[in-house]
Amino acid sequence: MGERDPLRAGVLEFIGRGVGAPVAEEDFERLALEVFAYQFAENEPYRRYCERRGRTPDAVARWTDIPAVPTAAFKAAPLVCGDAEEVEIVFRTSGTTGGLENRGAHYVRDLKLYEASALPNFRVHVLPEGAHLPMLILGPTLEDAPDSSLTWMLELVRRELGAKASANFVDESGLRVAELEEALAASESGAKPVALLGTAVAFAHLLEALKERGRRVRLPPGSRVMETGGTKRRSREIGRDELYGMLVERLGLSEFYCVAEYGMTEMSSQFYDNVLRERACGRSPVLRYKVVPPWVRTQVVDAETLEPCPEGRVGLLKHLDLANLDSVMAIQTDDLGVAGAAGFELMGRAVGAELRGCSIAMDQWLSAQR
Amino acid sequence: MAERAALNAYWVPEGACRATGPFGDMGLEVQERALGPGHVPVRIPTFSPHTLRELLAALREKRSAVLAERPVTEILGSIGMAAERLTSPGEPLYEELLDTLPELTGYSRRMIEIGLERMSVGWSAEALRSAIEDEFGSLEVLDDFQPRPSGGHQRAFGPPLTVHVFSGNIPGISVSSLVRALCVKSASFGKTAAGEPYLAVCFARALAEEHAELAGCLAVSYWPGGSEDLEAVAFSEAGAVIAYGSDETISDVGCRVPAATRFIGYANRVGVALVTQRALSRKRAPELARGAALDVATFDQQGCVSPHTIYAEAGGAVGPLDFARQLGDALEELSKEIPRGAMSPGESALIHQLRAHAEIRGATILAGERGTEWTVIVEESAEFEPSPLNRVIRVCSVDDLSDAISELEKVGTHLQTVAVAGEGEEVRSLAARLGAIGATRVVPVGGAGWPAPHWHHDGRFQFMDLVRFVDLENSQ
Repeated sequence: MGERDPLRAGVLEFIGRGVGAPVAEEDFERLALEVFAYQFAENEPYRRYCERRGRTPDAVARWTDIPAVPTAAFKAAPLVCGDAEEVEIVFRTSGTTGGLENRGAHYVRDLKLYEASALPNFRVHVLPEGAHLPMLILGPTLEDAPDSSLTWMLELVRRELGAKASANFVDESGLRVAELEEALAASESGAKPVALLGTAVAFAHLLEALKERGRRVRLPPGSRVMETGGTKRRSREIGRDELYGMLVERLGLSEFYCVAEYGMTEMSSQFYDNVLRERACGRSPVLRYKVVPPWVRTQVVDAETLEPCPEGRVGLLKHLDLANLDSVMAIQTDDLGVAGAAGFELMGRAVGAELRGCSIAMDQWLSAQR
Repeated sequence: MAERAALNAYWVPEGACRATGPFGDMGLEVQERALGPGHVPVRIPTFSPHTLRELLAALREKRSAVLAERPVTEILGSIGMAAERLTSPGEPLYEELLDTLPELTGYSRRMIEIGLERMSVGWSAEALRSAIEDEFGSLEVLDDFQPRPSGGHQRAFGPPLTVHVFSGNIPGISVSSLVRALCVKSASFGKTAAGEPYLAVCFARALAEEHAELAGCLAVSYWPGGSEDLEAVAFSEAGAVIAYGSDETISDVGCRVPAATRFIGYANRVGVALVTQRALSRKRAPELARGAALDVATFDQQGCVSPHTIYAEAGGAVGPLDFARQLGDALEELSKEIPRGAMSPGESALIHQLRAHAEIRGATILAGERGTEWTVIVEESAEFEPSPLNRVIRVCSVDDLSDAISELEKVGTHLQTVAVAGEGEEVRSLAARLGAIGATRVVPVGGAGWPAPHWHHDGRFQFMDLVRFVDLENSQ
């Protein structure tokens, strides 16, 4: 059990079948169980976690029974197969939420797996027609944010899929709005479409700046946005509908060309909205949902019992990501969502700090201690 | 479940508004909205700054007419009778509260029953009399000038109007607050919280049945927190403002209360428990575990008196881990006797995340098997960490409780109730050390949830803080 090289080859082969490959349930399950056996053998804190639940490889026959580790566990110890010192990179969560002292860390032993998953998935959902566009990144360079998985991924897609005029527009002083506006104006006047990539918060910042100055840009057809992450900014929460309304109004984009990405530091694979990919096939999708790539499974579970929810009910998202070969494949999030036939709808983080009244809230406490 | 008719979640006494109808000429509209975890439909008046000012002026006038010169014993009698209507099984108001509060607050029906029963103790005329006497020496000082031992006379006057800003965590605190103001002959306006908008209203209704004139000095309603225009009016009309809530809420409200107006803020507080090794004998441990479990289960730790961490000294006949196991068993029993309240997905998720974090960092997790109904996290550590509440408790094993006390020094004035179990002089000596670092209440394990009627709430006077003394000096 658990020879890494053939397993790695198996995972790469499975991912390599492509985003549009048939579901291949049996192959997936076999591979998932093999990866579980490997992780059980090589990832010590995870093994103990599984043993305490009586879920050893001998006892687990279905991928749905593989124990999922809540994301907070990534803050408590390195969850990695083999030596934590020998990984290629450690991605860390931003540490501003969750109320637990340490930042979550994803020890990535093998960036090739990450690339193998991230690139085709991005291409299919953000550049489905094979467009080769300048990527205007509303985020920092890897140099400025070396442990951010999002920054690393954006750098990857920029390097592998972006046109020459791609650039980053965030530095230590924040979003360089004026330069970004110039780039947008150049795109508009030169009729050269662009792809804007970044966090929802950065987009909100840009759009508010444009609004303040009464600026409207009409980006040329084929331009698009990929945004990700929560939309809470300072005290004001901007809803996704409001954000997209502003993207349409201020940048002249069609909503089909606004793609939300959902990714997590603890995973190697991401999820994208279906809309642009379907548009490229000539459809006008009515529903917007997150597409689960064939090498990932997502379940919606009851927040209280962590048992699967019936379809259509809101619960917590639990993911199983084969590309997480060397850490932990099965991850229990505190993101809320609802499952549909073709994917899932993301409904934001389940807010835990609904603590009422005079007993001190954990977040407040911790922020006071810092 | 049958659709419930909307509850009137307000109390505006008849005639308090200078209008022909209940709300007629003042243009007070009543809106329906859903409040509480059960999204219960309730009806709430929409105040304008103008209508609110009118109402508050009317309350003050009523107070001058019917409350200011009324003997305090008569007021206590009426309060006590009203409280009985609220808390006696069979009374229509009591039955209504049992039907509505679980949905409005999220607490289980059993928890509400226990809460009403325990709180009623402090609302009886007798308990109020001794709590007032405890602070003032006598009741009469609220009625007339009384001689002072050092010469001269004094009399205590309550504010004409007290404005209360309630929090939604514990039902009943709102009633205690209104009662305190009534005892010092102050009219009250109570601004309820979305999480508990109804009990104070029912108290006013009960009082109206006992003594309509007294209830005419009370108004209770809800508006969304941060309605600054309304709060500006309320605070400027008040002689005293009492607010309950987070540190953030209290400092925000405090900033908006005029400087000359008395402001009493009850901010964030946390509780802990300390158990000495001598107390952890085979004989006592099960009873302590049951007591600690009750402290944790009471209002699901939402109250500021509830423990977040239990420090158990190692070396006794029963070690901290065994004690934690007994505590887990007791919590399991209690989860059936007094079911935990409704959970939002976020609250449940937070507990799962916290369990995993603790487990991976090496702690022992004892937990209910169905979901998150109770959690005991056992580790060797003196570090204080606030609980996410909802029956999550850490048992910290320490070699010496002194380690815990030095750690708790960091909690400082946020520390409120400490449940202590010790033998002989241990309790007194620990109480002295805990008092020195900020604690305001030391109680036996098992007694954390229900403060005595005459307690010093956050170390302060319940009644004395509200009044103004007038000295009458003798001629030379």
